Amino acid sequence: MRGCRPGNVENGSSTRYLYLPVSLTYPLSLLLLSPIFSLNTKELLGLSFSSVIDWNAGWFKWDEIHESERRSLPEFFEGGSYSRSPRVYKEYRDFIINKYREDPSKRLTFTDVRKCVVGDVGSLRKVFLFLEKWGLINFSVSDGKQQSEEDDGPVVIVEVGPAAGVRVVSGSSSSSSSFVDSAQAGGESAFRLPPLTSYSDAFGEWKPGSGLICGFCGGHYRSGLNESLNAGIAMCSKCLHKDTGNGKIEDDLTPNDHVDAKDQSSATCWTDTETLLLLEAVLKHGDDWDLIAQHVRTKNKLDCISRLIHLPFGDHMLGTISTKSNNANLITPLVEYKPSLQVLNDNPQEFTETNGDQQVEINKVEGIETASQDHPVKRRCFPPFTDTTNSFMKQVASFSTVCGPHVAAVALDAAIKALCQENPCAKLAFETNADKMAKPISPPYINEFKGDIKFEDGDAKRNKQAAYVSEKSFGATTFQVRAAIATSLAAAAARAKLAADQEEREMELLMASIIQAQLKKLQYKMKHLMEIELIMEKELSYVQQMKEFVLEEWVNLLEKLFEAGIPRWRDQVFPKTLLHTFPL
Amino acid sequence: MKSHPPCSSKTPVRFRMPTAENLIPIRLDIENEGQRFKDSFTWNPTDPDSEVISFAKRTVKDLKLPPIFITQISQSIHSQLAEFRSYEGQEMHLKERIVPIKLDIRVNNTVLRDQFLWDISNLESDPEEFARTLCKDLDIEDLEVGPTIAVCIREQLFEIAIQGVASARESRVGKKGRRGAESFINSKMSSSSLDLVKLFGSKGSVVRKRKDWYLYEPIVDILSNEEAEALDAREVRNARLKKKLDEKEDSFQERS
Repeated sequence: MRGCRPGNVENGSSTRYLYLPVSLTYPLSLLLLSPIFSLNTKELLGLSFSSVIDWNAGWFKWDEIHESERRSLPEFFEGGSYSRSPRVYKEYRDFIINKYREDPSKRLTFTDVRKCVVGDVGSLRKVFLFLEKWGLINFSVSDGKQQSEEDDGPVVIVEVGPAAGVRVVSGSSSSSSSFVDSAQAGGESAFRLPPLTSYSDAFGEWKPGSGLICGFCGGHYRSGLNESLNAGIAMCSKCLHKDTGNGKIEDDLTPNDHVDAKDQSSATCWTDTETLLLLEAVLKHGDDWDLIAQHVRTKNKLDCISRLIHLPFGDHMLGTISTKSNNANLITPLVEYKPSLQVLNDNPQEFTETNGDQQVEINKVEGIETASQDHPVKRRCFPPFTDTTNSFMKQVASFSTVCGPHVAAVALDAAIKALCQENPCAKLAFETNADKMAKPISPPYINEFKGDIKFEDGDAKRNKQAAYVSEKSFGATTFQVRAAIATSLAAAAARAKLAADQEEREMELLMASIIQAQLKKLQYKMKHLMEIELIMEKELSYVQQMKEFVLEEWVNLLEKLFEAGIPRWRDQVFPKTLLHTFPL
Repeated sequence: MKSHPPCSSKTPVRFRMPTAENLIPIRLDIENEGQRFKDSFTWNPTDPDSEVISFAKRTVKDLKLPPIFITQISQSIHSQLAEFRSYEGQEMHLKERIVPIKLDIRVNNTVLRDQFLWDISNLESDPEEFARTLCKDLDIEDLEVGPTIAVCIREQLFEIAIQGVASARESRVGKKGRRGAESFINSKMSSSSLDLVKLFGSKGSVVRKRKDWYLYEPIVDILSNEEAEALDAREVRNARLKKKLDEKEDSFQERS
């Protein structure tokens, strides 16, 4: 008798399955013939293997023949045939599947199979086609029609190492420095979602808008772009832009419609590097959108405009620009802008407590806002930034507020440092501001500061020379705004890093528990097999004993019969003499 | 003590090809005035006989053969159909029987040698489909190979089916002897087929021993044009030699 040894269970990316080699299944299939053990083995094998082989042929079990197999290949189960019996079928099946799994990358052909197996090629071919149809063999082989999406079911794959594309940097300071790197990298999109495998698996085919085609230029475009209103023809922004230039679409239609169309998606298209470039360009070039688009490089004029509108502080920017160019009047109530500031800093008190600089920034922004109030047209055209629900900057801001104060402090430090490195002017601006506002913040101080701005702007209105001062202060403000952005980004990054660390720990823990469970399973299996073997041996010895005993009995009986001299005992089961001995 | 599945004795059927489709193999080999025409295909015996002549005409026209071939082709087909029909009235006992089928064929430049097992009683078998699969698996590009394989399988199946019918008749003739005769015939019949009990009984595995795999593995050889021509020439020479020998024999017999 062949010993029941457990198959060498393989688990790796090359084989991808746990499977039983024929050497194991064969003796077990013999065991199944014995009704005493069938339950035991079934339990054992069902426990260990049914969970692993589990795609669209989920019914498949090594130790059982499923109903669909009986239905598809009835000739093996009708009985009355030597060459087609359930046992033969099972051997065919197990052999073919194991043969395929010796090298799952290679296509197993019927000709390969039939040379190794005894039997009618017609019925063997049926088995082969049946297994192929259910994807038990040849399912991951690239062979034209064989390759399809139904093949990638829940196959057991264990990837080693971190997921591709995920980079985890250590420490909040270094994360902000990497941010600096990306900021200095210029137009290249430095902030891109890593191509997580799970993401591409889950959403790879349903990427919104990937199938849309522009009705004008024929190119594919993503959902971030527009659709024309009247004709109902899909149109990419390039064509739309062209059309706008030609005057085909009325100019007054475009701004609001584009805003609506882009509201959902264009925010995702902008990397923060691009946003920073945009802000820089706006400060540098003011209203000249052509120059701004040139500066941003990766986006066109229309995109830049809508992006700026959607930034929480876009209005301020536009306001400053108008102030710069028009030097208009500036007396406005300050209170109105308080709620809007909350978006950028939901928790200003915290920042005030930890860092005076933060408060300085807020004050500065307020000051600028007072200057920009005189632009009712812009106000009306674009929604207030409290409504820009899915703005990237808002998300960042809310992220940053979740962080602890020390994280924010460190992030701010790093951000200012980065800005100073980037631009020496910023350093100057910060230094001057720090000198001015080193004192604790108090309402009279704010007033004083406001007055300062007023004075500057008023001066510029009258005197051209004062424009220099105004510009300088304006530059400092923008640097502070940028510092705020950088701070929030850095804080968010730090938080993300912490979350990632935790996730990783959890993943490791789960992985360890999985491995442990697998090992335990294997151990149980070994134990079961050993028990079975023991029982089998006992049974065998018992059967042999019985056999000997029966033989002995038989011989004894025969001897007695011969001695008694009863001829043709077979014809009469009970000789009459014996019958009469029974009491009636 | 062993528990064998009961030996099946299915109800007898009318004689036919033991395959899913009742197509009989036809092989033509006609030589006339130095021109030789060789072909093989399958024919549905239920088709009306008028099809034969139109088929012959069509073939001769397509291949631009001299018109004399028309009659010869149709004669040859008719005679082979007649042979099949001579058995058609008889009953065929489909007893499970697995026989080795051997292939050794050459089509144009492709040489194929193969061996496999075939169940005579399996009325769902399909030689054409088998041949298609074989060609696909072996990447045989020549489109003529597949049909030739199928015809070759059908010829052997036909041969075996005829043997079966003949032996059944013999057993009926010698009915007096009953048991002895039948067992004798059975043992004779199974001489070419395989011992099913031994192969599929509970003792053995249906998986062949690894050292035997090569025996049942198809071997394909693609010949160069020169080799193929040389083989053609040799075949022609052999055919002529055989013909001459036959003639000699005939004349010898006549003389005696």
